Amino acid sequence: MGSRIAMAVLLAGLGTWAHAADSIEALASTCNNCHGVNGVSVGPTMPSIGGLPQAYLTNVMLEWKSGTRFSATMGRLLKSYSDVQIADLAAYFAKQPWVPQAQKIDAARVRLGAQSLKRCEKCHGDDGLPRDGETPPVNGQWAGYLYLESLKYRDDAVGMSNRQMRGAMKKLSDEELRAVSDYYASQK
Amino acid sequence: MNRLNRRDFLKAVTIAAPALALHAPWAHASGKSRVVVVGGGFGGAVAAKYLKMLAPQLDITLVERNKVYVSCPLSNEVISGHGELKDLEIGYDGLQKRGVNVVFDEATAIDATKRTVTLKSGTTLAYDALVLSPGIDFNYAGVEGYTEELANTDLPHAYKAGPQTLMLKKQLEAMPDGGTFVIAVPPGPFRCPPGPYERASQVAAYLKGHGKTKSKVLILDANDSFSKKGLFEQAWKTHYGNMIEWVPGASDGKVVKIDPKTKTAYTNFGEHKADVLNVIPPHHAGSIAKQAGLTNEKGWCPVDMLTMESTVQKNVWVVGDSCVHGELPVYPMPKSAHAAVTQAKVAVGAILARLAGQPAPTPYFVNTCYSIAAPDWGFSVVHVYRVEGGKLIYAQEAGGISVIDTPAITTLRKLEAEYAVGWLKNIMADCFA
Repeated sequence: MGSRIAMAVLLAGLGTWAHAADSIEALASTCNNCHGVNGVSVGPTMPSIGGLPQAYLTNVMLEWKSGTRFSATMGRLLKSYSDVQIADLAAYFAKQPWVPQAQKIDAARVRLGAQSLKRCEKCHGDDGLPRDGETPPVNGQWAGYLYLESLKYRDDAVGMSNRQMRGAMKKLSDEELRAVSDYYASQK
Repeated sequence: MNRLNRRDFLKAVTIAAPALALHAPWAHASGKSRVVVVGGGFGGAVAAKYLKMLAPQLDITLVERNKVYVSCPLSNEVISGHGELKDLEIGYDGLQKRGVNVVFDEATAIDATKRTVTLKSGTTLAYDALVLSPGIDFNYAGVEGYTEELANTDLPHAYKAGPQTLMLKKQLEAMPDGGTFVIAVPPGPFRCPPGPYERASQVAAYLKGHGKTKSKVLILDANDSFSKKGLFEQAWKTHYGNMIEWVPGASDGKVVKIDPKTKTAYTNFGEHKADVLNVIPPHHAGSIAKQAGLTNEKGWCPVDMLTMESTVQKNVWVVGDSCVHGELPVYPMPKSAHAAVTQAKVAVGAILARLAGQPAPTPYFVNTCYSIAAPDWGFSVVHVYRVEGGKLIYAQEAGGISVIDTPAITTLRKLEAEYAVGWLKNIMADCFA
């Protein structure tokens, strides 16, 4: 009798684990390969996605899926997922904590970046942490990734749809873009 | 979705009943279910980690021969001097800290009836579930005149990253301008389908970067096409002119024999004298899988497409390069680190469900594989699979290779070259940290 109860408890426990591996967690775990566990990236050219605003995540994924937003890789992945799966993924990653990544950045670079913030801080804040619930935070985001993103907005052949970002990125020099990327990356 | 649920339900009935009828594997002395993982590459490491992460109560043992793992992805960049081997190395302390019992030993026998794995040291490990991720081994006899000894001395294949990678790099550096670097590609399937062609690109990048532009890279191929062919050919033309030549199998490209002394590669009708002869021998599943009787006539492990469980032995899950998996025969999953990792995560879900007497969860399989063909010039192939009507199918509306012709090519190729590096950092952390 006792062992049957013990077994039932064990079974129930294992059932919970099996369930944890099901549904959106299982799908989301395929994102970890590139974006890190729970969306916390440790690869300087890959963005952290855990804790980004749900609206932002939903929008960019749907735009990649429909092809209205340029992507190098993501569009080819998202075309196979339903809008419901995309919404669930966005909700899942939005719920994860936003974890700024400590990066080795020289203080002089941070000071230089602070001087070039004019075109960025209105939306992204001087601390990289917007509070409108839609603009992605960039504090502690990877500098490498932020700089690569700016290249997309500068290249008219890429044709990013956000005109404000295109305009702002083009008005900064390459050196300023690197400095601003470093500045935001250094924010905690 | 309804159909899926019904299938899962039916599966629940059919799986749960016999599992309960058998001796309950989780009801042994310690009260812990035991999972043994053989092979600490990407697939095995991530299986051990996720099992422990999702089910800390489980007793997880990882058996691995080497104390340090060396990533094959991005090892071609070491040959050209664009990367360092030390950045590809990682130990097992991350897994140990998580509570995975890491045993540095070699699995020499599997008894699927008794559910035991015997190690070289003589230890026997009992398991309730076994994950096999033994990678590949080489069939040296597939190229007459080539041997394992030659691979470790004069003629490294460098198709497992490590000392051979550095040996091949040295040979490339010593090659005089005007020399010929021959890469012999085995019949598919082989691990990292774009690997040989990325290697040719990296060799050319080195030669171009060092002013040795009279040299030649000759790819002698047993196959008639290759992964990301259009992208590679575009990159070669853009960056290397005519330095790289590809000879398909149909044009007598298959190397059948070599003379190691003269570094000559023989095809059925021709011979090619090399200055550096890089023979990649044919592959099969890691020897332990073969020895355990888990392989098919072609030397690979067949698995249930939805769970990664061996179709030969119950309670054994095979993931990574050693398995044959996907919508066969047209859209198999490539033998890549990324594929291995998603397969392992599916196996973890299936194992936890099995131990709980529940149906396996819906599996999600993806592959993303980057290649770097020149500095700032990377591209990728993506595969996505999904379950439809109880079968695994390749999602044809998704996936595919990077755009070939686009006005945004400079930015696009730069992005993917950079992403390749970020991808590796993350996938290594996902598996080993």
